Amino acid sequence: MNGRAKPPTAPPRPDQAFISVRGLTLRFPVYGYDAKSLKKHLARVAVGGRLDQARHGSTSVTAITGLDLDLRAGDRLGLIGHNGSGKTTLLRALSGAYEPDEGQIEVRGKIAPLLDLSLGIDPTATGLENIRLRGRIAGLSARQVEDKLEEIAAFTGLGPFLAMPLKTYSAGMQARLAFAVATAVDADVLLMDEWIAVGDADFQKIAHQRLLGLVERAGILVLASHDLDLIRLYCNKVMRMDAGVGSEVVSIKGLDELLARPSVR
Amino acid sequence: MDIAEHMLRTGSRGFRDDLARAVEDLRRSTRGLGLAWSLAWHDVVSRYRGSILGPFWITLSMAVMVLGIGFLYAELQKIPLATTLPFVALGIVFWGLISQTVIEGCESFVHASGMLSQTSLPMLTFIWRTVLRNLATLMHHLVIVVGVIAGFGLWRDMDLPLALAGLALVLANVSWMCLLTAIISARFRDIPQIVISIMQFSMFMTPVFWQPGERVGVMDAVLTWNPFFHMLDAIRAPLMGVAPEASTFSVLIIMALGGWALAFGLFTVTRRRIVHYL
Repeated sequence: MNGRAKPPTAPPRPDQAFISVRGLTLRFPVYGYDAKSLKKHLARVAVGGRLDQARHGSTSVTAITGLDLDLRAGDRLGLIGHNGSGKTTLLRALSGAYEPDEGQIEVRGKIAPLLDLSLGIDPTATGLENIRLRGRIAGLSARQVEDKLEEIAAFTGLGPFLAMPLKTYSAGMQARLAFAVATAVDADVLLMDEWIAVGDADFQKIAHQRLLGLVERAGILVLASHDLDLIRLYCNKVMRMDAGVGSEVVSIKGLDELLARPSVR
Repeated sequence: MDIAEHMLRTGSRGFRDDLARAVEDLRRSTRGLGLAWSLAWHDVVSRYRGSILGPFWITLSMAVMVLGIGFLYAELQKIPLATTLPFVALGIVFWGLISQTVIEGCESFVHASGMLSQTSLPMLTFIWRTVLRNLATLMHHLVIVVGVIAGFGLWRDMDLPLALAGLALVLANVSWMCLLTAIISARFRDIPQIVISIMQFSMFMTPVFWQPGERVGVMDAVLTWNPFFHMLDAIRAPLMGVAPEASTFSVLIIMALGGWALAFGLFTVTRRRIVHYL
């Protein structure tokens, strides 16, 4: 492998992680409070749908419009953009949770969506039980979880507290546990949404080391953040999103120029 | 692996393609049944955390109910206790499985909204989770079942293989009901209340604790057209050493096929949007 970036048209090698998004459009149907009640739904049908159509008809919000994205092993993409510009939606679509309305998403490689630290966390269960549960959700087999249990437990630094229910933990302790489990999965594609700083200063240091290791191992990182220093630290490419429209992917060196643009639309 | 190593998601390409995706979801969910079991077992454990008897609390309250209703109905219907008590015991235990699974089915997707909106886990995993959770609860109640089988000497006449076949058919049927209620409840939040009412009504219309008398008039209609009667009878009658009605097993098979076609059809059509309902 030479160090130069390949032209974007070269087909990705089949044995390598890649992300290929073509003309992705995502719409969210909005089911208003009214629409969620069957009684009202029936009432509407019963009177022949002559109630205010605009108020009761299903509307939709377009979260992402015609987005193209090509990433391959070694790419660490920073996603920037205002609130509501579609960054998180894009990450969720890449995780496979949202189905495209138009276009397609293709991802090769094991995906680790680290979008929400509290995913699958049960506050009444003990630390160890939560590690097992979360590990299973992340796609580890029961045996793999047992193999990794000790390592994860050691990394949390929580010691005897792991036998305590999670609700007795402080917020920082919970974050330590969640972070340790979430990052214990070997993944090819890492999706992260603005949550890197957890715990106290000591933990932040080791968390940083762990993340760097993870990013190094993972073929691809997609990180959505408002923290430009963070993006500079972890990413080598950057894309800006404005109201669901993505800019082209530029090298991290072009970050300032990208920010200076009035809008990519 | 529960997370797809290769993922391809596209916009809708018509019903056939959506059907193929729904089948793919089913395939992945059955391959990852271990995960559904882990979640189900975790549910059982966490529900009774901090209690001494754990899930046996329900077993205990069920046993009390069995004794109370058993004695009362034996007296009311003038039927010997030796017949009534096993009848009521098996009725209550297996009715619990049927109604609880359908009722909890409503929450299958709603409770999993966090996981569904940020992972590519197959959606049907959460249906199996509900079914397996109730199966795990049933395992605890087997204490009662084994108790009456041993205590009243049912083992002499019972047809265990047939009862197990009945249980399998019941599970096939409650699973589609679970999927159906899960989808509709995600979209319309008042459905769980309706489902609870229907199951409550059905409990009184089904011979759970009362013995069906002669099949004439209303009684015949109530038994023939009540799907839950067939479901319950397919398990209970063989255990009681009675042959289930000739039509029961064919009814259950046809209902399972038709129900799955309906529920899976709805799943195929709504699958893309379920995550947005939540």
